[in-house]
Amino acid sequence: MDQVVGPKYGSRGGAGKAYNQSFAREVYRNVDSGEEIKMCMQCGVCAASCPLKEKMDFSPRKIFTLIRAGQREKVLSSQAIMLCTSCYSCKVRCPRKVPVVDVMHGLAHYALRQGYKPRAETALFGQKFWGNIYRLGRIDEKDVALRYFLGHGLGQGIKLMMENKNMGIGMLWYKRMKILPERPIKNVKSLRKMLDKAKAMGKGGAV
Amino acid sequence: MNYFLYQGCSLEAGGIHYTVSLKAVAKVLGLSLKEIEDWNCCGASISYVGGNELSVDVLAARNLALAEAQGGMDIVAPCSSCYIVLNKVNYKLQEKPGLLAEVNEVLAEGNLKYSGKIRVRHLLDVLFNDVGLDKIRSAVKKPLNGVQVAGYVGCQTVRPFGEYDSVEKPLIQDRIIEAIGATAVSFPNKMRCCGSGLFLTELTACYELARDILGDAQTNGGKIVSTACPMCQMNLEAYQKRMNKALGTNFNIPVVFITQLMAVAFGLSRKEAALDRLLISADPFLKAA
Ligand code: SF4
Ligand code: SF4
Repeated sequence: MDQVVGPKYGSRGGAGKAYNQSFAREVYRNVDSGEEIKMCMQCGVCAASCPLKEKMDFSPRKIFTLIRAGQREKVLSSQAIMLCTSCYSCKVRCPRKVPVVDVMHGLAHYALRQGYKPRAETALFGQKFWGNIYRLGRIDEKDVALRYFLGHGLGQGIKLMMENKNMGIGMLWYKRMKILPERPIKNVKSLRKMLDKAKAMGKGGAV
Repeated sequence: MNYFLYQGCSLEAGGIHYTVSLKAVAKVLGLSLKEIEDWNCCGASISYVGGNELSVDVLAARNLALAEAQGGMDIVAPCSSCYIVLNKVNYKLQEKPGLLAEVNEVLAEGNLKYSGKIRVRHLLDVLFNDVGLDKIRSAVKKPLNGVQVAGYVGCQTVRPFGEYDSVEKPLIQDRIIEAIGATAVSFPNKMRCCGSGLFLTELTACYELARDILGDAQTNGGKIVSTACPMCQMNLEAYQKRMNKALGTNFNIPVVFITQLMAVAFGLSRKEAALDRLLISADPFLKAA
């Protein structure tokens, strides 16, 4: 355990207060864009600009504080890291140019790889979305939606399909849905090889 | 004027009316849009669930490398999400030679290589800066006089780069709306987020976002909402009925692509303007030729 005396971060960081920095190190080392939070000066501008702030358990600023305070469990199970819509409101205003979106996505990816599921619905949808990319090289909207619904199990899946039925029929009726299944792109095999390689080379998820 | 068109997945299905109207408008304006052969999905804003950052970068980089190999023209992305993803990765690759080398090592699996020379641009940028308002004005045959349009900009159309328009007070879409004879109403929430790719999985939160945008547009006199992003169009239009039910609201406001408005103003047919693809009809306000 690396117990060290932490610097003054935010209002709670008093001199002499002990911090556990091993989680911060884990984030810098293993989370994509994780090292970017070193730039954060805790001004709170990101939190003030965020359209999802009321739905988040912790604002982006607070997430960065928690990382520095060694709160591994709180951060990796936080709803907030999967509630970022990539709206970039924070990014354009952050005085330190912290790429908040990339950090949030990096944390979410890492949390999922570690077995946490901050937002189960979005995690399931995202998994089916990625599955489409890997299988086809492109997204087949109806296919992702169906797989997402059925990913809840058959009973719940059918219930969800009924809830979305009118919209689906609308999309079909107004010719905004491809009827035939999407075909893979020509070089889908080499795309898959690339994605396999990138997975092995990147840091996201490695412990 | 020759460009690569990065159509993106959405414009082949839920946003097909963007493609149809864009192609019709491009023809009138003399824009040649060539599809990037064998393009792949850009990953949008949800790819982080399945892929690490390098994989996500590679998805974008493969498209950039294909464009470079196929002639190197500027890429036009009509979808704001595609535009941001491709552009963001492009800048990263241009600024970080280490990352570019790493990405090229991965691209080599498909005998591709990217050197960093491509430019990625949003359709609005090309319409405003390359085509220009004068040319747009001179193509107008049936000005949309009296039509009050709320030009919704949303997030990724201008944020975070603000390359061609202000990130705080964007004007370009409104200028185009005015150039085709319509009235651009101003409404404070035109830059608010619509929920983007989270809509389906975070309905409750996103309904509120959509309500605030549509409500604001309407209160300020907007009869039609216009957008240049397929995700905004989908979220604000296709979910409107369900949102009404969930929140007890009563919206019935058409949400169209800016290219659909242009097509109508250029005197093109209802079909070319893809007005027949709207779930909430814009016919009470727009009469196509
Ligand atoms: S705006 Fe930037 S510097 Fe300020 S708290 Fe947020 S991430 Fe940190
Ligand atoms: S990009 Fe994410 S964290 Fe930043 S303001 Fe938007 S939703 Fe909030």
